[in-house]
Amino acid sequence: MAEEEKKEVRKKRRTATKAAASIGPMVKESIGGTIRAKQEGKKLAYTFIVCLYDEILSVMDIVPVWTENYAGVCGAKRDAERFLERAESLGFSRSLCTYALCGLGFDQWREKLGEMPPDAPWGGQARPDMMLSSGQILCDPRNKWYQAAQQFMPDVPIYDVGLPYPLYEDDIEVADVQDYYIKHITEELRGLVTFLEKQTGKKMDYDRLSEFVDLGERTWNMIWETYELRRAVPTPMGTGDAMNTMVPMVFMMGTQQCYDFYLALNKELQDKIARKEGVVEDEKYRLLWGGGLPSWFALTDFNYFNSKGAVFPVETTYRMIEPIYRLNIPDTNDPIERLAWRWFGYWTYWYDKAKKRPGSEPDVERLIQYIEDYQIDGVVMHEAFSCRTWHLGLIWQLNQLRKIYKPIPVLILGKDGEKTKGKRELPSLILESDIIDISSYSEVDTRNRIDAFIETLEQTKKNKV
Amino acid sequence: MTQYFAGIDIGSTMTKVVIMDSGIISSIIGPTGPEQRRLANKVMEKALNEVDLPFEAITYVVATGYGRINVPFADKQITEISCHAKGVAHFFPEVKTIIDIGGQDCKGIRIDNGKPVDFVMNDKCAAGTGRFLEIIADALGIKIEEMGEIGLEGNHPAKISNICTVFAEQEVVARLAEGVSLHNLVAGILESLANRVSRMVNRLHVAEEVVVTGGGAKNVGLVKALSDKLGYTVAVPPEPLLTGAVGAALLGKDIADKTLKDGVSLETKERSLKEIKIF
Repeated sequence: MAEEEKKEVRKKRRTATKAAASIGPMVKESIGGTIRAKQEGKKLAYTFIVCLYDEILSVMDIVPVWTENYAGVCGAKRDAERFLERAESLGFSRSLCTYALCGLGFDQWREKLGEMPPDAPWGGQARPDMMLSSGQILCDPRNKWYQAAQQFMPDVPIYDVGLPYPLYEDDIEVADVQDYYIKHITEELRGLVTFLEKQTGKKMDYDRLSEFVDLGERTWNMIWETYELRRAVPTPMGTGDAMNTMVPMVFMMGTQQCYDFYLALNKELQDKIARKEGVVEDEKYRLLWGGGLPSWFALTDFNYFNSKGAVFPVETTYRMIEPIYRLNIPDTNDPIERLAWRWFGYWTYWYDKAKKRPGSEPDVERLIQYIEDYQIDGVVMHEAFSCRTWHLGLIWQLNQLRKIYKPIPVLILGKDGEKTKGKRELPSLILESDIIDISSYSEVDTRNRIDAFIETLEQTKKNKV
Repeated sequence: MTQYFAGIDIGSTMTKVVIMDSGIISSIIGPTGPEQRRLANKVMEKALNEVDLPFEAITYVVATGYGRINVPFADKQITEISCHAKGVAHFFPEVKTIIDIGGQDCKGIRIDNGKPVDFVMNDKCAAGTGRFLEIIADALGIKIEEMGEIGLEGNHPAKISNICTVFAEQEVVARLAEGVSLHNLVAGILESLANRVSRMVNRLHVAEEVVVTGGGAKNVGLVKALSDKLGYTVAVPPEPLLTGAVGAALLGKDIADKTLKDGVSLETKERSLKEIKIF
């Protein structure tokens, strides 16, 4: 028999919204923009997303280089392996955060060559003038990555911004500790401003910062209202798209371009809802992406879910906003203080709600709220092996959710053959892979799990009383 | 007229075919292998020949297992989770937890009213699968079929600290050289495998009745170690390798019955046992 050789053809990912489809060129332009900015002599700063000081950088005319983003781009283009291998050969363990490894491999290569590594995705990652670490309590690479990178760039200074928030304890009132935290965060941000003033030789324009913070706050509200439109049945936008539409939220906060993007997305979703145009024609299952960064090289898996009639109207990943008007930000003319209150309010947003349900926790409460608001049939999470920050917590959250929240009424067959009324937890699926390390991924195994999960959802619907 | 249903379960290591009317009338178990996977039609032919049935006599064919997409003559592909659940519930109507220890993967399935409601899978690592036992049996120079009985005689199971199959193999050889008895060594290996499997399935909140299937269920020592570890009596079907194929055939019957009840025609493929052209 003549054997035909199968050629691997990667299917192009489909997005449901024009807004999501516009993101690829936007990111490419943004990365290209940092390289041009470098050539023009502007100051560049390596930094992390969800850092709180986006608006401060904008006002100081500092161009952020989002290092997690560049690693994600390498992953999405399936070109991270050579940078990961390089980091490994430098002695960094493969079990560290693969974003950090990719960045370290890239930086060492660029520094050694004195120019971008050959065929660097989208032109490469520009050399920074400073590196801004920003700890978020849980994610250690946010402090350690740049310290490690400094051995290749000893002339580039690091400023470490500590941005803590109180961990949840059901017998501690947030109001009792908030003043201390606000004071601390405010001082950290003021320290950053002093550092940036020294690096740029410019003074901070606080009036301008107030305008940017205002815009940032309006943008938060706009994003929240826009994403809430996805409650519609059929949902007009899924998590696959949200993995794109998060870009302005985390890379452009406080800019007019960011606000306008969500304004346009809002209109697009409203139009789709009016036309009853869903992500899929026949929406059968509504799923919650309950956490974990995605596998950037396998975003077509969202399309695979769609092909089975499953959609994701909501996700916790990259939904890094809450409505500002619910964060209890006190009146203050100090934009730095407003930022501090925004941070504190965001991270403690679910605390009071969690206290009201025995056994709950803020992250679990958030899952429950989304399950109810978005009429969710099942929960999917992704355990990215190299992301320790989420890995542990996800499994715990899922276990707690199963324990305290059983929304599905069923008849349970007893040993005596009698059926009794009972309640069951939502079906859940844990995908296992990585953010950018493709060697951890098997499409066949992943899709086999998805198939089995879809069959489970079908059975659960049939069993429902 | 008698209706016949076929289930074909192409696992990573073994291929299983079952033909049923009201019960199992023919079954085949054979190694999958690279060539066999391409030749699913030959396995089906063999099963049909055993009962002298032409392929056209089969009302509905369901394929399952990792190789299910390589069965061009199947009317439907259903995952092994649903098929194992159906097959096991056929033999054990009150089953709540299924543990399937296959050649290269391991699964736990939570069952309510005979239907799967949750599952976990290990398809990433050889540890916790039949492949682990194969490699260790090779290293010890014993047959895999003998491991269960040998392990049962080990009163002081050796502690095997390595989870990784490759390193566990080295550890076993080293322990043997230290003078640890074969019985205790095998008992330790089975205990280590049982620990790994139970850690995974405990995510499902294991409940009775617990049934073990797959090649691992044929290992009496492993079944005992698993039962000890889980703290439940563990049942084993009459032929633990066949439950997936049985479930596939039964799900095929359900589909046929439903179409009859709904008054719609049953959609089937052309009844032809052609070889798969591309693999």
